[in-house]
Amino acid sequence: MKTGLRLFLVDDNPADVGLTREALATSPRHSAIESVADGTEAMAFLECKGKYASAERPDVVILDLSLPKKSGLSVLAAMKDAPKLRGIPVVIFSTSQLNDDVLRSYEMGASCYVSKPGNLADFFAAVKSIEEFWCDRVRLPRQGE
Amino acid sequence: MSSAGVKLALVTPAPKAQLRVLLLEDNQLDAELVLRALRKGGWDVTARVVQDEAAFTLALRTYSPEIVLADFNLPSWTGMAALDVLRSETPDIPMILVSGALGDVTAVECIKRGVTDYVLKDGLARLPEAVRRALEENHQHALRRQAEENLARKVEELARSNADLEQFAYVASHDLQEPLRMVAAYTQLLSERYVGKLDENADKFLGYASEGALRMQVLIQDLLAFSRVGRSGTPGAKVDCNAVMQDVLKTLGPAVEESGAIVTCSELPVVWGERTQIAQVLQNLIGNAIKFRGTEPPRISVQAEKEESHWLFRVADNGIGIPAESVDNIFVVFQRLHGRTEYAGNGIGLAICKKIVERYGGRIWVESQVGGGSTFKFTLPLQPPDQPEEGKP
Repeated sequence: MKTGLRLFLVDDNPADVGLTREALATSPRHSAIESVADGTEAMAFLECKGKYASAERPDVVILDLSLPKKSGLSVLAAMKDAPKLRGIPVVIFSTSQLNDDVLRSYEMGASCYVSKPGNLADFFAAVKSIEEFWCDRVRLPRQGE
Repeated sequence: MSSAGVKLALVTPAPKAQLRVLLLEDNQLDAELVLRALRKGGWDVTARVVQDEAAFTLALRTYSPEIVLADFNLPSWTGMAALDVLRSETPDIPMILVSGALGDVTAVECIKRGVTDYVLKDGLARLPEAVRRALEENHQHALRRQAEENLARKVEELARSNADLEQFAYVASHDLQEPLRMVAAYTQLLSERYVGKLDENADKFLGYASEGALRMQVLIQDLLAFSRVGRSGTPGAKVDCNAVMQDVLKTLGPAVEESGAIVTCSELPVVWGERTQIAQVLQNLIGNAIKFRGTEPPRISVQAEKEESHWLFRVADNGIGIPAESVDNIFVVFQRLHGRTEYAGNGIGLAICKKIVERYGGRIWVESQVGGGSTFKFTLPLQPPDQPEEGKP
């Protein structure tokens, strides 16, 4: 059985977090999923601050764009500014189909941009393909080296 | 009542009326003759007589005359220079030149530059009538100007409320997507997990709920597409409709093949617009011609011919046709003539066609008979659009 990814989900919509967990629940990869609901919490988690002092570094961040407190793009910018976080791939996972959002995400260093599909089957397929791609197809930096 | 109100607000000339005259005249005797002619003509005149620029300007500001009478040549100034001062101070007061003989060319030049009339000093009997006419004309001008201002304001208000509505439709449909996505996803998840595990009714209810959510998603997508028509780009590029037709036929390929349709197409023009939008119009019309076919395989012809100020396009078919009472309705958003089970679709296609065509300053309509096929016609201007605005020119 494959070892999964350590996924970090930043999404203020519990329904989407629920769907994402559902999509991966039957996956053979056993990804660990942790999630927070706003941009400030996301940065605290990534920087292991406060209650997240013992948080483990994720392999991939799945980031929504419209977030309370600190927007998705601000989180992305802050990550790319921080030497310790810059190497973590960020998948933007958003409902927005605006070309502006897509372009800015890539300009700011997002690894890829995936639109949240409206249909359940497509949503599941999207989440599964993100996991499969980052788990099976891609070489990620080893931690602590 | 209201017309009386309007009249009160503006200068209304009436016989025996009081008249405040600003008279630019260096010769006292001439000034006296002018005023006497006016009184003789029935005007109750009060006047201020001035001779130079300073006094003239001051009088304009403090005396508020209803009319200016001016000599053409003065020792230190001219009547035409006075006209310039008058116009820079106020656009509303008419001016009549009262002068010795002027050449025709000079007189015409004066009128061109905005003098209302020109009266000879040895023909002063005509002056009262000239003043009356000047005031009347001025009054009409003011009315027209007010009407034009009202109209311009109304047009602006309409444009703004139209823009507000579009913005509303866009924002509403955009923001509705998100919660609807949750409803759709979770009813689908419920169906997947629990179908067959509850009772028969529950299965039916879940089916209705997910069907409804999915249909609403499509409707909202359509509404977004509709409200995007006016938002995307400027319709200012040259588009070769022959190339567009190639794309459209490629897109519709499976439908053409499946229905056995024969699409014929004449040489099409190059028009001004946005390629994707022109393509959308043709695709929707041809797609409809295939969808609403009769028992025969569809025969569809696409033609365009040049008319005076526009291209006239025709998309003709041998389909089921449209009842006379419905030929206008079909262009309204979400208007459908048939049940969902007979023909698929939401009734957005023709509304989008109309919006696109009108965006470019064209018109779209249909000529049809039930059972006798339909011919959709639309026009696109020959000239590029000056302003990328909504609506007809």
